Amino acid sequence: MKHWVSQFNARMDRWGERLSQKELRIPVDLTVGILFFLFALAILLVMPQQVAISEKDAVNGRAFPTLLMVVMMICCVMLVGKELYKIVTKQPLNWKTINLQTELKALVILAILVVTYLLCRFTDLFVVGAVFCCLGFLVYFRCKKPSYYVITITIAVVIWAAFRFALHVEF
Amino acid sequence: MLQYILPATGLLFTLENILWINIGVFVGSVFAAIPGLSVILCVILFLPVTYTMTAIPGMMFLLGIYCAGGYGGSVSAILINTPGTPHAAATMLDGHPLSRQGRTKAALKIALYASTFGGIFSALMLLFLGPQVAKVAAQLGTAEYFMVCVFGLTIIAGVSGKSIIRGLVSACLGLLISCIGTDPMTSYDRFTFGIPRLYLGLDLAVCLIGLFALVEILAKAEKSLGELHLDTTKIKDDGKITRQEYKRMARPVLMSSIIGVLVGIIPGTGASEASWFSYNTAKNLSKHPEEFGNGSVEGIAAAESANNAVTGATLIPLLTLGIPGDGTVAIMLSALMINGLNPGLSLFTTDGDIMYAIMLGLILVNLFMFIQGKFLTTLFAKVVSIPQEILTPIIVIFCFAGAYSVNENYFDVAVALVFGALAWILRKLELPPVPILLGLVLGRMTETNFRRALLISNGDPSIFLQSIYCKIFLALIIIAVAAIIRGKLKEQKAAKAAAVQKESN
Repeated sequence: MKHWVSQFNARMDRWGERLSQKELRIPVDLTVGILFFLFALAILLVMPQQVAISEKDAVNGRAFPTLLMVVMMICCVMLVGKELYKIVTKQPLNWKTINLQTELKALVILAILVVTYLLCRFTDLFVVGAVFCCLGFLVYFRCKKPSYYVITITIAVVIWAAFRFALHVEF
Repeated sequence: MLQYILPATGLLFTLENILWINIGVFVGSVFAAIPGLSVILCVILFLPVTYTMTAIPGMMFLLGIYCAGGYGGSVSAILINTPGTPHAAATMLDGHPLSRQGRTKAALKIALYASTFGGIFSALMLLFLGPQVAKVAAQLGTAEYFMVCVFGLTIIAGVSGKSIIRGLVSACLGLLISCIGTDPMTSYDRFTFGIPRLYLGLDLAVCLIGLFALVEILAKAEKSLGELHLDTTKIKDDGKITRQEYKRMARPVLMSSIIGVLVGIIPGTGASEASWFSYNTAKNLSKHPEEFGNGSVEGIAAAESANNAVTGATLIPLLTLGIPGDGTVAIMLSALMINGLNPGLSLFTTDGDIMYAIMLGLILVNLFMFIQGKFLTTLFAKVVSIPQEILTPIIVIFCFAGAYSVNENYFDVAVALVFGALAWILRKLELPPVPILLGLVLGRMTETNFRRALLISNGDPSIFLQSIYCKIFLALIIIAVAAIIRGKLKEQKAAKAAAVQKESN
């Protein structure tokens, strides 16, 4: 078992090292500008289906969200315009470097969170998800100390009991 | 005011309130002492606990966390040169050098004394200024309230990120999210996308758990565990502060407390801005500026008194206008509103006894922070070294339990997860989360006042420029935006100059 775990960890380390050298550079202002312009446009397009109004309303429920989306689009145009000006005048753009290893690790953490949620929901026992969450993170951090496992799981059960019996939360 | 003080003291001095203040102070100190855990995260995690309480113990608990968080951050800043909270960064500049000189206990003591003074000064300001501001707020109509909301949102969008435009995009996103659910004026559903549960809208606490707490869990991917392991320095000195040092501390403490209050009242600015501004002011006015950065008692005192002087001041716009002074108190608003307490003059008149109990309670919170700091600092220092392997899953369990307990529904846990993932993407795109929080908090108030004002004027938008208060707020918005843009341009210029100098070297 120990041999298998160390082999698995070594393989993960090799992958991690390879991935840590892979980086993605995105022009952040340009991306935000285009992405949120499209988002605001999409919201304006779905507005008639998503926000019901009455003909009698002088100022209806679409007025405020429409104003927000217009402001958002103006901001986006300003962001894109600023970046295009930088391109024309050959000034450096605002770049953001995204490390693939970091993103993959974040996805693993997200997976632990999602599985915890699914376990809680489908077993209808919060404590089951809580125990899985502890084990998931301890394995993620490659924790080899048995005492940490005992402490963390005990605290998890105590938190569940505090919410269940002291705060009367039904789960 | 006096007619409320006596009943308020009766409401405040109960065993339950004293207990919750102490629990809050303890939890806040511990959270703030651990680098990577912020006061806002702590308040979000424990907000659901207050849902079963009445207004006074609930607010006392949250204020305990908030105020002690101001001091707790200095513990790790002094001990291990890592600020527990962002606003303790200025404390670190002199706190850690003083600790390295073998005066750790003295540095912690200075931080505690200064924090307590700043906190009590701020609480007194709230007690005296709050009702006066509320009287002015009572004269505001719907159009003026809309302008106040725009003012708050603009400043927060401007100061919370690197770019004011990206801040405004975030604020619009937050305001849009607040539109999900039933229309506040017509009761038609909006943006529910066929999901029945969305008719009720999204709960603020649930969104915040995702935006501020779960995203920090995802951020663990950015750090290796080696970086997160911390060791504490043993506190061995006698902690003696000389009479001359006390004398030297007096002026910076008083001046920084005033600066902290002034900064705290302005929506969007917070403890970090106050502590840096005070630190620089104290340095400029000091007779020993050369000591700053090398363990100056004045430096520690200035930074710490300022960041705690913000605590009461941020509550002034919150309780009078419903505009939170910073992100943390924005969350407290929901603890108040769940008990039927709405910001405004009525809070100081109809619910005067409760409100005065809360304001007097803030003084009590600072006193208990002082007592706990005096006797438990060694314990707080030990907490700094809790391993991340244990801490991370515990925070997740708190997040999930908190999200579930709001409506006892797993749908809310899923919403928190979605917001966590969204916050992670926004972080990658360098969009600040605080304007989203303010958008969520102020969304309903902003929209209701916007639509009511337009209804009164038959759709004529000039109503937002007619009254004297509207004009004042418009002028304030223009001045604030100009000041923010000027500041950003200065920052960019300084960064460019630094880059050029680096290249030439």
